[in-house]
Amino acid sequence: KPTLSEDSTTEVASKSQEGTAETPKQKLLDLIGNMKVEVSYRKKLQQLKTREVKNQATDKLEGMDGEGAVLQRTTEDIKRGKPLNPELVKAVSAVASSLPLNKTQTESELLAQLRRHEETTDKQKKGGVINIRNVISEMAVKRESPAQRGVRISNRISMDFDEDGQRIKSERTSRQSSDSRRSLKVGRRLNIFTKTSTETENALQTVSSPTIWDLEFAKEVAAVTAQPPRNGFEEMIQWTKEGILWEYPIDNETGMEDDAEFHEHIFLEKHLEDFPKQGPIRHFMELVICGLSKNPYLSVKQKIEHIEWFQKYFEEKKEYLQEI
Amino acid sequence: MAAGGLCWVLRAARQVSPAPSLQARSYYVDWRMLRDVKRRKLAYEYADERLRINAIRKNTLLPKELQEVADKEIAALPRDSCPVRIRNRCVLTSRPRGVKRRWRLSRIVFRHFADHGQMSGIQRAMW
Repeated sequence: KPTLSEDSTTEVASKSQEGTAETPKQKLLDLIGNMKVEVSYRKKLQQLKTREVKNQATDKLEGMDGEGAVLQRTTEDIKRGKPLNPELVKAVSAVASSLPLNKTQTESELLAQLRRHEETTDKQKKGGVINIRNVISEMAVKRESPAQRGVRISNRISMDFDEDGQRIKSERTSRQSSDSRRSLKVGRRLNIFTKTSTETENALQTVSSPTIWDLEFAKEVAAVTAQPPRNGFEEMIQWTKEGILWEYPIDNETGMEDDAEFHEHIFLEKHLEDFPKQGPIRHFMELVICGLSKNPYLSVKQKIEHIEWFQKYFEEKKEYLQEI
Repeated sequence: MAAGGLCWVLRAARQVSPAPSLQARSYYVDWRMLRDVKRRKLAYEYADERLRINAIRKNTLLPKELQEVADKEIAALPRDSCPVRIRNRCVLTSRPRGVKRRWRLSRIVFRHFADHGQMSGIQRAMW
């Protein structure tokens, strides 16, 4: 694939250069500037570096063709590492001219090789921190159709609200998740972030160590810094913290944390397994369970305790029951 | 490390710092009020058990022997644990009679505060 694209771009480059009398240096720079290695979207990362190249090129180029070349560069995507050593570039041109095959093609291929070589040496110098190719390989730019874009903008503006006044977020999040074709766990590890596991250990240590003196000091500081309330609002805040005032809007279930589902409250027959199946006790316990299932004030634990108390009681009184 | 621990403790201390109230009462008004307080505490503790034993006593399904045993059991519980012995006394004067339940105050104290405008929403009736 890269060679094909290189061919196309080198043809373009050769066309642009036919009408000019430029030094081989400039020609090579043009070639390098117009070369495309892959048909991918790597604009942001390379724009900085391409600006450097453009500056160098514009200094040297003169006349209309210079502008044309610059225009070409602005319109094309350019992948570039460091600007190559001009002597090496000259050497490449010499080698290419000596070879019998298509001159420009060999030049471009040699330059590509050079660049790759430079890249690897750079990476080795840095220690192989970030390989941008790895990072970008997993990314893919979204192609928004104008219809989709319109829908998205309208979604942002409309702000659909539920009856409760809470925004409908589920649609948006589902769309986002479906848009990213790649999942989160796919791909090689990039090693961009380092694990910070030491912080959690420090936190655990600090919690266990406050001494009595620390507590006393903290109480002193709190007493000194607690200014009397300047206005009614601060007074109400203080009262809320103390517990004198309720928290508004009033939540009917403050202090009552019942995580059990409704079926655990109502279907209590499974706790009756230890009781005899027939007889007055069973009848009695079924009535008890009926009453408990209708009781909204007890938690599930309390209901189970209730039934267990009866179980224990009947166990103890078994002698009396046997007589019947 | 110590700083982190201090921060946490400071936060806890700041949250619960009750301001001194103007009327700091460290004693109950009289001994009768104290006894009433004890009865309330015991009644709270034994409420569940009394409810369950009474449930056994007051039904027609279970055998009578069992119910008689339950009778004896409930009689064996401490006498102060039954809620019937609680008297709604006035909170400020411990007066046993003339106490309005909503305010837990005797009629005299209620009138005193209402006339001084210290009962919220209370006004002298006039029609």
